[in-house]
Amino acid sequence: MAKLFEIKDIVFSPGPGKGRIRVSGILDEGSIMAVRGPSGSGKTTLLRILARLREPGEGQVLLEGRMWSEFAPVAWRRMVHYAAQKPVMFNGKVGENLSMPFELAAVQGDMAFDRSRAMAYLKRLCLSESILEQDARTLSGGEAARVALVRALIVEPRILLLDEPLAALDAKAASAVMDLVSEWAVEEPGRGIVLVSHTGDISALPRVTIVEIGTEEGGSR
Amino acid sequence: MNSGIVPISDVQLALSVILVLIAGGISAMLRLGLLKSLAWGTVRTFVQLTFIGYVLKYVFSANNLWIIAGLIVVMCFIAARASVQRTPNVPSYPVALAFWSLLASTVLVGFVVVRIIINPEPWYSARIVIPVFGMILGNSMNGIALSLDRLYGEVKSRADEIETLLAFGATPWEAVRGCVREAVRSGMTPTVNSLMVVGLVSLPGMMTGQILGGADPHEAVRYQIVVMLMIAAAVAIGCLLLVGLSYKKMFTPDGALKPEVCESKK
Repeated sequence: MAKLFEIKDIVFSPGPGKGRIRVSGILDEGSIMAVRGPSGSGKTTLLRILARLREPGEGQVLLEGRMWSEFAPVAWRRMVHYAAQKPVMFNGKVGENLSMPFELAAVQGDMAFDRSRAMAYLKRLCLSESILEQDARTLSGGEAARVALVRALIVEPRILLLDEPLAALDAKAASAVMDLVSEWAVEEPGRGIVLVSHTGDISALPRVTIVEIGTEEGGSR
Repeated sequence: MNSGIVPISDVQLALSVILVLIAGGISAMLRLGLLKSLAWGTVRTFVQLTFIGYVLKYVFSANNLWIIAGLIVVMCFIAARASVQRTPNVPSYPVALAFWSLLASTVLVGFVVVRIIINPEPWYSARIVIPVFGMILGNSMNGIALSLDRLYGEVKSRADEIETLLAFGATPWEAVRGCVREAVRSGMTPTVNSLMVVGLVSLPGMMTGQILGGADPHEAVRYQIVVMLMIAAAVAIGCLLLVGLSYKKMFTPDGALKPEVCESKK
């Protein structure tokens, strides 16, 4: 499998008074990189750095061999999408929340909102079509998490950075989410997933690389 | 025009202190803790207005374009500092940005009013320019302070939404557009409200001053209409400029939201 995404000696501090952490890892096309480490070890910070939502102390990230500094930040975030642990729902219906990214210039230039595709993903995640008309701010935590995931999948980033996507889900929904994201990664060429999760047996997933962080040095195995 | 003015003697002026003594008595009786502020405010009012009286007398008699321009620049700087200090949601903010926004909006609108609408002889007549620019600045200062504070408040409370938009590839402008809209609206609301109730609920200070000074009420009203409209324009331009210049400062060169934006002023 071709090398898609490479974290090269990213160094950062997860918070004030915490030590510096060094992380490296390689994500192949169609694969999942699972980031593991104790609470507060900087897993979320790492994902935010990878999405260029936070600056690292040092290090580089490469996408298909090209350094991140070669991409405009907006173009990078369009390709390397961070889906936060706490799903954010905007004012309006669920349907509007799903089509919202397609109003942004960076996404609008690439593709249009495909409602049937969104519906197919929602169904895979045990959500019915009627949810599209529901006020997004009335969703339960688990529903919001799944809608936010669908919103992230349908914009088709190259790399999807998922922060605790299973945290608010029951076992059935969690299983559906893991099935869907691992299928999504191989649905089209040039895709990959970086995942942070405390719950579920991540190592049982196909095509997984584990990256441990939380110490001065982190490395893939 | 000033034939009907009733002069106030020094003794009469001193008598006005009785009014503040009444306010001070109420404050002491109810233990409001305002006595010291009231006393200090009264002293400052006397000192500042007496001082500016002498300054204006000199500026009016000199009627020199460069002296007038210098005074306006100083007024803009003081207004910019005051507006930035009145923003609890803003952790730290360069006075220079507020200054340039105020200067640009005040000069633009003030010039139109003085040169095109009123058009005195000479056009930079200090007697017209200083009060007109002063009224614009006083209102713009409040408007931009409200806008700036609201912009930072909105971004702080909607930081998650902004980051979500950025994560989808939004530009900083796309991510904060809603906050900018709210900020400008907030800065303009007092001005719009005063446009709605002027003459019905409030008689504006400038019009009242002219009438007390013996001017014909119809003439005073005409001036007041010009003043109200120029204030609305100046506040709108000042708020737009400041908010437009400020939102970019909330982002890193990479277009990510700066963590310190979500802090409050210490």
